Amino acid sequence: TPALSPPQGYPGAGQPPPVGPYPGAPYGGGPPPGPYGQPPPGAPYGGGPPPGPYGHPPPGGPYGGPYGSPQPGPYGGPAPGGESGGSAPPGVDPEAFSWFQSVDTDHSGFISVKELKQALVNNNWSSFNDETCLLMINMFDKTRSGRIDVYGFSALLRFIQQWRSLFQQYDRDQSGSISFSELQQAFSQMGYNLSPQFSQLLLARYAQRSPNPNPSIQLDRFIHICMQLQSLTDAFREKDTAMAGNVRLGYEDFLTMVVTRML
Amino acid sequence: MAAGYQQRPNSGGGAPGALPDPSFLWSVFQRVDKDRSGIICDNELQQALSNGTWTPFNPATVRSILGMFDRENKGGVNFNEFTGVWKYITDWQNVFRTYDRDNSGMIDKNELKQALTGFGYRLSDQFYDVLIRKFDRQGKGQVAFDDFIQCCVVLQRLTDVFRRYDTDQDGWIQVSYEQYLSMVFSIV
Repeated sequence: TPALSPPQGYPGAGQPPPVGPYPGAPYGGGPPPGPYGQPPPGAPYGGGPPPGPYGHPPPGGPYGGPYGSPQPGPYGGPAPGGESGGSAPPGVDPEAFSWFQSVDTDHSGFISVKELKQALVNNNWSSFNDETCLLMINMFDKTRSGRIDVYGFSALLRFIQQWRSLFQQYDRDQSGSISFSELQQAFSQMGYNLSPQFSQLLLARYAQRSPNPNPSIQLDRFIHICMQLQSLTDAFREKDTAMAGNVRLGYEDFLTMVVTRML
Repeated sequence: MAAGYQQRPNSGGGAPGALPDPSFLWSVFQRVDKDRSGIICDNELQQALSNGTWTPFNPATVRSILGMFDRENKGGVNFNEFTGVWKYITDWQNVFRTYDRDNSGMIDKNELKQALTGFGYRLSDQFYDVLIRKFDRQGKGQVAFDDFIQCCVVLQRLTDVFRRYDTDQDGWIQVSYEQYLSMVFSIV
């Protein structure tokens, strides 16, 4: 199976960041420009002042480096070995199109969760977990059929590339995964004000334990966590109009907040 | 009673179905376990299940179900665990049939309301619209079997976690940002 590790020098980079691919996508946006606007400084959660929400300029900015340049170390991956046939439909980058064809193993013209899962690998060569694949498919699946066409796929590729490069930036020791302290730093750089206990909770839930004694998080889980965090923070902020960091929620308020935001 | 979630809905709803003969289940297991690995994974289970329409079974439902029965976090279920999966799904089938009165394979908002009310939920009409919008994957204003399971599972998990925080059981909680995040991250 083709491995969808960084398509080297993938030309789609540098294009508009992955802000909610389709109107109404439950998860409003991708990493770089967080969809929630700049909250006032000193807000009890998310988007603290220093680098603003997600703090990072869109690709092309300081962290955009990895785009278009060969990726070092554990981020490398085989180039798409895809059989290329036909030509890319209008508006779809030829390289994305060729990836699409190699990932679409049953030649249905759509990528299913299973096909995506087989194509995406973490830095330790484990394949992406089902939840993250599902989350991403849903995000780019405008027909709600549980699969994506070539347009959705090409947007998804850009989305993953951006996360991969962000991940690489937060992985300070270049170990290929995010440790507890790296996670803490990542959150704070993204503008979230979260306690070590909370990071610990996430790590306990999502980390791969063996063979590494120190639990750490792979790319798939990192994407999953950040997307959920962003969307849940948006929902909380809507309720916390006084910016108190505290809300009173009725049973149905809570259900509605989560159900409408959840993928 | 203020809060609308007193009774715990249980997956079975009606009378729990008895397990069929183990040799029958074993033959089903072998057919579903296409790669003969001894473990039924997401994809194998998804292909074996039908939601009554020609669309693939909701992968989120498949994941939820396997996650419930997969004890070692191995990404699927072995034969022993599969017997639980089988019973779980057939119990849901029986519940679904009870409420799908016209046998259309889909339940509409009213039927969903009857089902969830039967489980003990007290939810507003407005919230049923939210549920239908969320779980109607086919865009028909109705909910298919697989989406119905997912809807009930999600509702139950959210209700359980809410109830844990609602210590005085008045249907309201006061939570900090992190408490709220922890609540949701513990179940999604």
